[in-house]
Amino acid sequence: MTTLAKRIVQGGPAGVNVRRYRIIRNIVLVAVTAIAIGGFLIDVPRIQILEHTARNLYFHVPMWFTLMAAVTFSAYHSIRFLQTGNLVRDVRAREAALVGIVFGILGLLTGMVWARFTWYQGTNIWWNFDPKQTMAAVQLLIYGAYFVLRSAIEEPQKRGRIAAVYNLFALVTVPFLLFILPRQAPSLHPGADGNPAFSDFTAPEMRWVLYPAFIAFIGLFWVLYTQRVRFSLIKLRLHGDSE
Amino acid sequence: MEDARQEVPPDTAEAIYDTLWAASEVPTRAPEGIERVMLAEDKLYVVLAVVLIIWFGLIFLLLRTDRRLDNLERELEDRIPEDASYE
Repeated sequence: MTTLAKRIVQGGPAGVNVRRYRIIRNIVLVAVTAIAIGGFLIDVPRIQILEHTARNLYFHVPMWFTLMAAVTFSAYHSIRFLQTGNLVRDVRAREAALVGIVFGILGLLTGMVWARFTWYQGTNIWWNFDPKQTMAAVQLLIYGAYFVLRSAIEEPQKRGRIAAVYNLFALVTVPFLLFILPRQAPSLHPGADGNPAFSDFTAPEMRWVLYPAFIAFIGLFWVLYTQRVRFSLIKLRLHGDSE
Repeated sequence: MEDARQEVPPDTAEAIYDTLWAASEVPTRAPEGIERVMLAEDKLYVVLAVVLIIWFGLIFLLLRTDRRLDNLERELEDRIPEDASYE
């Protein structure tokens, strides 16, 4: 086996170190299991309207932190692609954005269900264009367009370059759409428009689950992302193009 | 059972079910063994069990996919020793 072939599939420039992947994967799987158990077993204060749904904090909020980590990671690889022209970087940028979007969709859906039975209890409303939810949906559409853009270009290097530049612009919108704009508007989401932010009402014991949950779910993203990168690198090596 | 049904004012479906359950007087004895754990906290731990079953199923799938990727990578190394130009 030649060194270059080995580099593409495993180590080398931006390849996957399978041994390291396996170790981190096993840690992550145990960690997410621990989060699920801790999220259910550790007692939470029963607050009006929220009741047991306060436990959603451990699962819903990490989805969005994972999306933000994923798209930042994706943008990093886009920059590296623009620097090097190494298609492995393009593969990594794409897979990070894709798995990130999946977490974003899960965040939006879990938020909808949570809102339906708290904010909109007794109203039968599932979607009311709350600014936070609307902006989050727009954010996902912006990243959806990244894939539409990719699918429109045949030549891998050109596709990679244009998509990378778009990806950097997309990242710039993230803090505005997920934080700044929703907080300017009257939203029911915590942290908006004079509502208590997370730090004001969250019981200290919940942080023991919440903070590890951020790390665990970002780790889960990394596992799913790396698995897809491995798959795409095999395809890249066979076809000279990973799409 | 039939008597209980007739006593219910047929307002809503919930009222019917609710009164039926109340009338049949379950549980007939205090929970013991595994039930003492699972029925606590408004049966919250039943949800935990369901979530863990799903999660372990997903882990199984993930590990299987990894194994298939391992094999595929190994096969690729054997079959294509020279680099297919990718840059």
